[in-house]
Amino acid sequence: MSSTTATRNAIASRFEGLLGSACVVSEPASLERYAIEGSVPGAVLLPEDAEQIASALRIAGEERWPVVPFGGGTHQHIGRVAEDADVVLSTERMNTIAAYDPGDLTIALAAGATVAQARAACAQHRQLLPIEAGAGSTIGGAMAVAATGPLQCAFGGIREFCIGVTFVTGDGLPGRGGGRVVKNVAGYDLMKLMIGSHGSLGVITSANFKLFPMPPVTATFLCEFDSAAALFRFRDSLVKSPMSPLCAEVISPAAAEYLKESEPRDPDSWSPNGALAPQTPWLLALRFAASDRVLARLRHDLASFTSQEIRAHDENRFWGAVSQLEKHVLARHPNAMFFQVSLPISESAAMIEAAEASATNFNFVAGVVGRATVGSFTVVFLPLAIDPPAVTQFAGAASDFRSRLSRAASAVVVRCPREAKHHFDIWGSTPTDIELMRKIKRALDPYSILNRGRFFVE
Amino acid sequence: MFSRSIPGKLRKIVGRDAVLDRPADLMLYEYDGSLARGAPQYVVFPQSTEQVSELVKFAAREGLSIVPRGAGTGLSGGSIARNGGIVLAFARMNRILEIDVPNLRATVQPGVVNLELSNALAPHGFYFAPDPSSQKACTIGGNVAENSGGPHTLAYGVTVNHVTGLEVVLPDGRIAQLGGNAGSAAGYDLTGFFVGSEGTLGIATAITVKITRLPESVATLLAIYDNVQNAAESVVALTSAGITPAAIEMLDGWTLRAVEASVHAGYPLDSAAVLLIEVEGLREMVEEHAEAIQALCRKSGAREVRVARDETERQLLWKGRKTAFGAIGRISHSYYVQDGVIPRTRIPETLAKIEEIGRKYSLTIGNIFHAGDGNLHPLILFDSRDADQTQRTLDAGREILEFCISVGGSITGEHGVGMEKQDLMCSLFTDSEREIMLRLRQCFNPNSLLNPEKMLPSPRLCREAVSPGHASLG
Repeated sequence: MSSTTATRNAIASRFEGLLGSACVVSEPASLERYAIEGSVPGAVLLPEDAEQIASALRIAGEERWPVVPFGGGTHQHIGRVAEDADVVLSTERMNTIAAYDPGDLTIALAAGATVAQARAACAQHRQLLPIEAGAGSTIGGAMAVAATGPLQCAFGGIREFCIGVTFVTGDGLPGRGGGRVVKNVAGYDLMKLMIGSHGSLGVITSANFKLFPMPPVTATFLCEFDSAAALFRFRDSLVKSPMSPLCAEVISPAAAEYLKESEPRDPDSWSPNGALAPQTPWLLALRFAASDRVLARLRHDLASFTSQEIRAHDENRFWGAVSQLEKHVLARHPNAMFFQVSLPISESAAMIEAAEASATNFNFVAGVVGRATVGSFTVVFLPLAIDPPAVTQFAGAASDFRSRLSRAASAVVVRCPREAKHHFDIWGSTPTDIELMRKIKRALDPYSILNRGRFFVE
Repeated sequence: MFSRSIPGKLRKIVGRDAVLDRPADLMLYEYDGSLARGAPQYVVFPQSTEQVSELVKFAAREGLSIVPRGAGTGLSGGSIARNGGIVLAFARMNRILEIDVPNLRATVQPGVVNLELSNALAPHGFYFAPDPSSQKACTIGGNVAENSGGPHTLAYGVTVNHVTGLEVVLPDGRIAQLGGNAGSAAGYDLTGFFVGSEGTLGIATAITVKITRLPESVATLLAIYDNVQNAAESVVALTSAGITPAAIEMLDGWTLRAVEASVHAGYPLDSAAVLLIEVEGLREMVEEHAEAIQALCRKSGAREVRVARDETERQLLWKGRKTAFGAIGRISHSYYVQDGVIPRTRIPETLAKIEEIGRKYSLTIGNIFHAGDGNLHPLILFDSRDADQTQRTLDAGREILEFCISVGGSITGEHGVGMEKQDLMCSLFTDSEREIMLRLRQCFNPNSLLNPEKMLPSPRLCREAVSPGHASLG
């Protein structure tokens, strides 16, 4: 509906009158950068504050123009195929560190500030904001998708350390939950509602976080296992031990190919049944913050499982590679399908078996990384180049994989080819009551303009 | 008459011995731990989720409001039947449904007492981390409603950080599932949103929580100060130095003397303040951190730092902290506990302000609080039989909380808004922010039959509350 120039101009001029022409992008060439899965929006707004967002949303609501909130654009591939966006609301001009109180270990950030920028500011005071999102990701975007990474083992997801949020509802009401203090139960916990809502309930305008002291020294123990089952048996003893790792990341043999600096071996040369060469082990990377004395103890306790202990430069390079894994996979397999899987930890080994079986049945190879002690995994289905799966096979593989999981597990497809999305529901199932979710969506976005058609409950 | 048949109908749902309707019995349910009061018409003890659902449907048909109640230890009037109706008391839904050590979870009914869950987990080497001071009595259902904290939430987080799944009964009787035993679930995080909703969204009938490994080693330190400001500065120093103890509690001189007279915990009577600091974890790490803490406290003015030599001494130090409110009860007819939160860097000036407010209203105010979180519990002593003193107490409490708001803080860190602080919600949140919360409540509880007139103030109350100095008992 927004593809005609006439509509485009009408939308742009409506907002230029409201925000000034400097805050509206309507040149087709400049709009390309804001395409959502290849579809170019009608206009892009660059509001400078929450008030401008509120007035823009009120107009979009009146006109029923679909709006896509936009941070760094690094996670816009998530969700169902959306109705074409008339309006993209970019937070790129709202990019300040609003307040940072190192003595209190808290920080207040505008939604468009990047995660990297915020982490760098904290690092100067040897403090840590444990949000992990791709390069260019913004705070608002990381909140919206509930981004997680290896540090989730020690610090939990964003929900565990976000202490305040401001946002604007679909009909232009400014909202707030929490505040600037680390403990606060006044009013409903709107942080929890906004985190992971994928821009369907409101446009996040700022967020406050509690920070953690940066561990002065860390070390990583690489533990190798012959099988996933053996790795998770060890994990079961780890969670009962007094050890508290910062990270406990599982890396499957297939995923490990993409950690290397050298070109990964092509999965086409792997036998789909035997998977990889037998010498490639399952890896559990345990990272600890520890003094020399504590390290000596850990080294002793972990001696029989550790193949290598890495520190300093090598350690940073290793975790850097882990954070780049998705990028490396995509560089080679633009059609790879990624699942975000969350399950009770005792089901981890069975889930991996299920992923391998389903992948093989539908001409994929499965790779797995994730938090062994939390039950949060990224599962990637790598398409075999030699006989690539058809779009319906993506749907078939996802359904087959999900059907092998218990009801307690969620497996959301966070990335797959756009065409494949028409053949299945990328969100899958959830234990949480859908009717309540629908009511909440209607309450905060009464005209259904925010990310129309993309989220779960539509 | 029709209304006389209500107890009969309630008994039909829950059994003959599970309904109270005689005024003498109901009186016991007029109170919680706050100053508020309100008489229910009926108190009902459901024994299953299905009964809760039936009761809620019945109440909706009769137009009776429902107020869920755990142990009644709340400090903000959350479980008080402010306009009559039915109190649903969860004393008989007190079973631990499952302990799932391999998945690090336990599932409980709402009436399970907080400490009893930890006791049941201890043989497995685990416990339930949120530890409100009332943990020997308070229930996990109540903890969920209030998002309760406790001394050790400094390191381990409050209740919401430990709940992954809920079964809830909605005000129309529907039984809904939120989350489960996985760490997260696809869709909105309604589990997190529900925790801390003070019984205004639904009634939790089964609660799945994370369980936490018991630490290998614990060290408990008592830092002793001649000056309360130095104690406050130590907290800032510890936070800045990057040491995260499991707990940092502060008692001021007046409070610790009151406690000492009752418990003999070993707090030095001539000191102006003590910090009770605990570190937990690997043995080697605990030793190192304990040494670092001693050095930092001394550097910021502690006259002495003691380390508990054994478990008995450790328990005694904690007994002093956890029974402090009871100790105050011995020496004062009534007391009013506040629950303000401030940025940790503002503790020194806030303590000075509280002292000034005490002088202004001629009231004794003791301070005992979760210093590591900046969560203050000023204790205002008064005699509730004296109307003037009561009013001064409420005004002083209000002024303390307004100061907390003015330095960027909050009116409640763990006790909840309830009836007590509703009017302060008007200064803390704007009209549109409250409008959004109201819309969300309506998604769950459209006619406000469930815990009515709690937490969210009516727009009218906010219009009337704009003039200061009208604190009331709610």
